[in-house]
Amino acid sequence: MSTTPIFRAERLTLHFDAGRTRALDGIDLEVAEGEFVATVGASGCGKSSLLNLIGALDAPTAGERYFRGQPYSVMLDLADFRRRHVGFVFQSFHLIPTLGVLDNVLVPTIGTPGRSAVHRARALELLERLGLADRLQHFPATLSGGERQRAAIARALINKPDLLLADEPTGSLDSANAAQVLDLISDIRRERGLTVVMVTHDAGVSAHADRLVPMRDGKVAAP
Amino acid sequence: MTLLEFALHNVRQRPARNLLTVMAVALGVAAAVALTGIAWGFEASWQKANDARGTDLIVTRLASTNAMPSPFRAEPLQGELRGYPKVRDVVGLLSEMLGVEAGAPPLFVFGWTHGSYLWRHLKLADGRWPAHTDEPAVVIGVVAAGLLAKKVGDTLEIEGRRMPVVGVFESTAAIENGAVLMTLTQAQQTTDKPGKVNVLNVMLDADATDADVNAIKARIRERAPGFVAITSGELVGQNTVVRIAKAMSNATTLIAALVGILIVFNTMLMSVNERTREIGILLALGWHRRTVIQLVCGEAALLTLAGGIAGVLVGVGLTLQLEHLDLLRGKIDANFPLSFLLTMPLLAMLVGTIGGLYPALKASRLTPAHALRQE
Ligand SMILES: Nc1ncnc2c1ncn2[C@@H]1O[C@H](COP(=O)(O)OP(=O)(O)O)[C@@H](O)[C@H]1O
Ligand SMILES: [Mg+2]
Repeated sequence: MSTTPIFRAERLTLHFDAGRTRALDGIDLEVAEGEFVATVGASGCGKSSLLNLIGALDAPTAGERYFRGQPYSVMLDLADFRRRHVGFVFQSFHLIPTLGVLDNVLVPTIGTPGRSAVHRARALELLERLGLADRLQHFPATLSGGERQRAAIARALINKPDLLLADEPTGSLDSANAAQVLDLISDIRRERGLTVVMVTHDAGVSAHADRLVPMRDGKVAAP
Repeated sequence: MTLLEFALHNVRQRPARNLLTVMAVALGVAAAVALTGIAWGFEASWQKANDARGTDLIVTRLASTNAMPSPFRAEPLQGELRGYPKVRDVVGLLSEMLGVEAGAPPLFVFGWTHGSYLWRHLKLADGRWPAHTDEPAVVIGVVAAGLLAKKVGDTLEIEGRRMPVVGVFESTAAIENGAVLMTLTQAQQTTDKPGKVNVLNVMLDADATDADVNAIKARIRERAPGFVAITSGELVGQNTVVRIAKAMSNATTLIAALVGILIVFNTMLMSVNERTREIGILLALGWHRRTVIQLVCGEAALLTLAGGIAGVLVGVGLTLQLEHLDLLRGKIDANFPLSFLLTMPLLAMLVGTIGGLYPALKASRLTPAHALRQE
């Protein structure tokens, strides 16, 4: 089988503080189209750094990244890449506290082409799917953790990404909400043919993920 | 949600600081508007007076860039001008800014040829006109009457000479309402300039064209070296008082713009620094750097737009008050062309955009991963 992976990393290295911190130390990784990969490992081993590099939120010190075979280094516009292909979900939700749920979901559409009515309809459809239809005008502070993370997932999906990157999405949730969020991500991934790379400590993830990628000290550890 | 709506939303999140910024910008705009209005008011009041009098051309000394053109002998120039084609009338005028009565602000004192067309547009509010050119009497404008607290039957001391007030008049030109008026002969005696005028007013035939005006101008240049014939608008443009007023208003506008830029710069830099993580979120969500720039500059422009609109309103109000200040009463017609009032808020938005540019660039250059790690 020789189909192009959706993402590939080649000797990916990320140093901080002039090399004193080696967050990533020569990562090789392939993620297949539609795959659900869970990255696990001790705190500080470089999981978030890897996710940030996949999502082009940061630039590597060395090494190359490929999206469907195209090197990131030749992409003219990484913001455009993020908007068209990547959706992000964070442990601390990162919702904008002064905006209601619906507006939060619409934030990624600001400054993009397309009619606002279309964006709105899409946001409503996603919020309905994520069980937030009755929370449209609620501010993040008035929502439960599970609801906040579901709003963040709707926001991550508004621009129809190919790749959903989730950095400990259940890390701030109780076990019932964590299970619900994991189920939702897993279901939506199947419904929409998404590729998911998730960083997690959640034992429940093994029931959903196609593959676990263990990490240690900035490297992919032997399984 | 559009970018504009989001920018408006963000501006409303910091009401106290942004209100202060809006007020500072409004203050600057108000000062600029008021001074510009006054500068134009000087200009407009002179032009209005000339237009009201029916004067088409003004003949004056070439180098007269003083507030008042310097005096010269009316003859033989006046006689020569009368013989030009299309010239209906040529009338001498002497005007000076003089201290009238101790304690009162200086006023314009005009001497107009008795019985000439200059007087025709004035309306007598009380009393009568000077009976003949040698009558040592004055008539005063309604505003001057109020300023000096004088009425018909009182006397006025001008250059050490006491003259009775025989009439009070009203004009469509504010500058005349604030003036003291006597016959040319009396003005020449009072200021000790017998036979002299500082302006010859030329009234042309109704069918005179621009070409006729230009022919007259050329002829005077040739026949009377040292003199020019200009339209009232041109005269006003050369007037020193008008020039100084305009220079002051321009300088104020410039200073207000620079101060505005610095204030907005400071406000938006603070705002951007506080919102580093939020900007990181926007970038992580796929926002373009240029969208971040548009957001920050847009917020800055919204602040200054609000300040600009408020400033125009305050500035116009302020000038209408200044106009009634004793020192300025009857000397200016506050004048605000609509285009100017509409331009100010746009100029303010430009100021905001410039002030917001560096903070916007700073925000847009954040590395998303780093910005997200900020508290
Ligand atoms: N911006 C940064 N500056 C300095 N050190 C950083 C930065 N980001 C991450 N690190 C360090 O890099 C290492 C890996 O961090 P991270 O990828 O966040 O680990 P994980 O997500 O697995 O907990 C840690 O030692 C962390 O302190
Ligand atoms: Mg992490």
